Amino acid sequence: MTKELSRNEHLKEASNFLRGTIKDGLSQELTGAISEDDQQLVKFHGMYLQDDRDLRAERTKKKMEKAFAFMVRLRIPGGELSPAQWLKVDEVARHYANGSMRLTTRQTFQLHGIIKSNVRTTLQSLDKVLLDTMAACGDVNRNVIAGVSPRQTRARTEVLRLARELSDYFKPQGGAYREIWLDGEKIASNEPVDPPNEPIYGARYMPRKFKIAIALPPENDIDVFAHDLGFIAIGDGNGTIAGYNITVGGGMGMTHGEPDTYPRTADVLGYCEAADVVRVAEAILTIQRDWGDRSNRKHARMKYTVEDRGLDTIRTETEKRSGVKLGPPKFYHFDSTGDRIGWVEGEDGSHHLTLFIENGRVKDFPEKQLMTGLREIAKIHKGEFRCTTNQNVVIANVPAEERPAIEKLVARYGLAANLSGLRRNSMACVALPTCGLALAESERYLPSLIAALDEKLALHGLSDEDIVIRMTGCPNGCARPYLAEIGLVGKGPGRYNLYLAAAFDGSRMSKLYAEDLEHDQIVATLEPLFSAYAKGRREKEHFSDFLIRTGVVAPTTNGRDFHANTGPKAA
Amino acid sequence: MGYFTVPKAAPFSEEEIEALNRVVGPASPVQRAWLAGFLAGAEAALGSAPSLQPEQAAAPVAAEPLTILFATESGNSEKLAADAAKNARKLGFKPSVIDFADLELSSLTKAKNLLVIAATWGEGEPPARAVRAYNELMSDAAPKLSGVKFGVLALGDSAYADFCGVGKKIDERLEALGGKRVADRVDCDLDFAKPAAEWIEHSLKTLAPPEAARGTVIAVDFASRQQPAADTGPVEAEVQEWIDLNSSRSEKETIHLELAFDGAAPAYKPGDSLELYPENDPEYVDQLLKAAGHASDDALRGEFLKLRDVTTLSLKTFENYVASTGQQYAKQLLESGEAKKWLEGRQLIDLVSEFPIALSSEQLKSFTRPLAPRAYSIASSRREVGDEAHLLISTVRYQTHGRERLGVASGFVGERLKKGDRVRVKVKPNKHFALPASNDADIIMVGPGTGVAPFRSFVQERRAGGAAGRNWLFFGDRSFTHDFLYQLEWQDALKHGSLARMDVAFSRDTPEKLYVQHKIWEKRRDVVDWLENGAHFYVCGDAKSMAKDVRSTLARAYADVKSVSPEIAEQALAKLEREHRYQQDVY
Repeated sequence: MTKELSRNEHLKEASNFLRGTIKDGLSQELTGAISEDDQQLVKFHGMYLQDDRDLRAERTKKKMEKAFAFMVRLRIPGGELSPAQWLKVDEVARHYANGSMRLTTRQTFQLHGIIKSNVRTTLQSLDKVLLDTMAACGDVNRNVIAGVSPRQTRARTEVLRLARELSDYFKPQGGAYREIWLDGEKIASNEPVDPPNEPIYGARYMPRKFKIAIALPPENDIDVFAHDLGFIAIGDGNGTIAGYNITVGGGMGMTHGEPDTYPRTADVLGYCEAADVVRVAEAILTIQRDWGDRSNRKHARMKYTVEDRGLDTIRTETEKRSGVKLGPPKFYHFDSTGDRIGWVEGEDGSHHLTLFIENGRVKDFPEKQLMTGLREIAKIHKGEFRCTTNQNVVIANVPAEERPAIEKLVARYGLAANLSGLRRNSMACVALPTCGLALAESERYLPSLIAALDEKLALHGLSDEDIVIRMTGCPNGCARPYLAEIGLVGKGPGRYNLYLAAAFDGSRMSKLYAEDLEHDQIVATLEPLFSAYAKGRREKEHFSDFLIRTGVVAPTTNGRDFHANTGPKAA
Repeated sequence: MGYFTVPKAAPFSEEEIEALNRVVGPASPVQRAWLAGFLAGAEAALGSAPSLQPEQAAAPVAAEPLTILFATESGNSEKLAADAAKNARKLGFKPSVIDFADLELSSLTKAKNLLVIAATWGEGEPPARAVRAYNELMSDAAPKLSGVKFGVLALGDSAYADFCGVGKKIDERLEALGGKRVADRVDCDLDFAKPAAEWIEHSLKTLAPPEAARGTVIAVDFASRQQPAADTGPVEAEVQEWIDLNSSRSEKETIHLELAFDGAAPAYKPGDSLELYPENDPEYVDQLLKAAGHASDDALRGEFLKLRDVTTLSLKTFENYVASTGQQYAKQLLESGEAKKWLEGRQLIDLVSEFPIALSSEQLKSFTRPLAPRAYSIASSRREVGDEAHLLISTVRYQTHGRERLGVASGFVGERLKKGDRVRVKVKPNKHFALPASNDADIIMVGPGTGVAPFRSFVQERRAGGAAGRNWLFFGDRSFTHDFLYQLEWQDALKHGSLARMDVAFSRDTPEKLYVQHKIWEKRRDVVDWLENGAHFYVCGDAKSMAKDVRSTLARAYADVKSVSPEIAEQALAKLEREHRYQQDVY
């Protein structure tokens, strides 16, 4: 029995390879919006139409439509930017966006508040430094992320190269992006008049978003188990990469009150040689393209395909499609999902500075001129910038002699601060006022919640303890809250569900502990747990592991049991 | 001068006698003489000699021509010109009243007697519509005016630096061109009524035709007589709606005000303004009274709140202050010649608080002027909103010399007026800013900021009347998201065709500022095409730069599209102006 296709499937197919009526919509000056169908299509070009939800109430009365503006997300495989590219993003953010840059949880930048009349200019400016926003959103392979590992210099170079290769390989080929945004109407006459239309995707693209991540153990900064397709680099013992363990079926999104939807950590499918990665990736992506559920968008991610078909079927099909025989997974070890804040020396003697950027918001604050400071660094920096999936930034490859100059700027603009263990392991999604999905505050609220929790942690001598806390304004999981030791997921204005005890290294998901908590209740619920942890923890035992060992919450072993055994266990 | 009455026994109906009395009653002896002569002459020509023969039918004698030229922004000069013409007729002149906007400079060479009534606008500039002819008059190409007898009445506001500057310059120029000044110039301030009337009487007397020329028959051009507008006093209206149209994130506040009248709304037309009688800011008045040592004078407070202009500070006031109080430091400043510079950005309160001295309440009052109403272009059409009038008022706020300043009327509306309050208003007609007579003519409207107000009225009017002519609006402001005034209404108008086109320019959305004139340039082909097709072009809003930039852009656009020289383009624009197809309401 074939089920009816979801509305988006028809829309994609009829869009003439992502063109729709976007051009016409851009020419209508009196509205900041575009048609609903085009709103779906522009996601594939890396943007969302949003509106400032803080202003919704007053607008009609003032005879104004909603305060529409676009969020534009860049494609930055491996999170790596040159200083020139950094400066251009900074300039565009000041000229056309809301004056800030937002590091995302997938190693790229989002710029918010770009009005319709400025979108083209924005993308054209980015194009000048070879940056684009292609496929940063939508039912396609998204930005390919890779571990930033400042220490493993050679391996990092290899995973970056791979991230870029995969990103280019799976980039939409239809030409709509250039045509609509860069006015590239048949750039040169010797170009093919009709470029091949999506040899990999076809007219319907993917059933849903598809995310690829490459991890460089022992760091799991990119949360490899949270993505549709993952690669865990296996070293050859000489600092370079021999091959990769392949993971499939990770994903964070779920819907409140719908137990058929759940976050899931990926399974390890097998091992392949470095040379075979692209073929394997294409096989898995096309399996999902062909087998993914196109009738129900809430069941359309790779994780449900893996659950429904079973890992063995997926492995057999992958081998068949790629012609690559997968080996058994190789041994690997992860120790954390966080970034190492501060200076690190690489194996080749280069210097790298990881700066903590609270919730990824690069902006000038009264006490901390982040945006100006980073701009000044970009003006003198000879190496590169790396965006991390923890919303931080690495000033990478600083020659030893340049380090004092960078340090001076860091001090002048207040870029480094003393951080509690909780704060340096924190992440929040954007949520209100721009995200249309948000049910509660996130980026604007988490800093003050951490301040309240830090007071309690200090009482128990836990201020410097690394504890991962993540918050999202809705259950879709952009900041990967189900992989945090303390996860808070927005339920309604000022109310959150509290999830506890995901593994510190990202290998195990959390469990729902309490529902609909308001600020005071969150603090009151966590304080006794901090107290117990301070008293009863074993040496080097993480908060999450303590909670599981002492039976405060039941462990989540895989996606299917995420919704089982919730709530506090008899302590 | 006695009234002349047609006797009831005359061979006319009662209504006809009444009508005759209306004309003949107030007529001067000269006018009556003319009428008698005219009727007799006409009868004689027709050859139907009545039984009743006048003793003598005088041959028509040429009346003394008089040219009355006015340059007006607010309509005051125009009204005075009409008054002057009325008086002139009684004295036996044949006056022709000419608007500077319509002036063919060469025609002045033939003028025998010339009276000029000229307003000065802003910082010493001629009224917008007078600019072209004024510049011609000042240019080297101006014709000789040898033998032309002239007099100039200057209107201005002493609160501005170059008080009556335009009148002064015209006065000098006419003399330089060979004219003969027969009446000395008088410079009038806001309270111009009395000095202007005296000047009119005096100059007409000086110019008066010799007794001999005042023959029994004088040509009177009845057609040129204008119906004086019924000058009704202000009426009360209730604030039915008060909306700040800018977003709460905007730096601006633009208030949309809906006024409802008890009964019929005063008869206004699209393009007219409404004068609003403001009240002063109580906080300011209290500070002023306190600084002057009259904090407890409730009677003075009440008067200051409602009746006196207590903010404006002019050099004249400064001089009066020094003369009246002898305040030592103020005197020094005045004598040093620095007072004029000191005045910039200051108000009466600065004078009183920075040069303190004991003041009687009478003294303090003498430094103020009557509080004048402020005129705002009406933003609605009665055909659409019925007995309401809508206004669009931008709240003026700024800081100078360490004080927060608030516009008198805009502050009254923006800060203190609430829904349900009552205000006094009065219609101020503007016949120089009106829709085309023909519903089929296209219109192009350029109205950034509050300049869009009359165009909301235009569009409403043409929509209600089902006008076939197309409406094209250019609008601009700072931010698309936060300052797009009436956005939903314009979207709706465009969707339903009451706007054929609309182009917008927001200056703060991009690093390079984008203004309406840039959009006009961008769309120049279509703009020129519309104009060639008979479209009327309207500009409303800022006089200082916008209106000038729009005009010069349109000239450039015309030259570019038609591939003609700037001079030819300028001539085309001047022609548009003369045909009243280029109209401005700028401030």
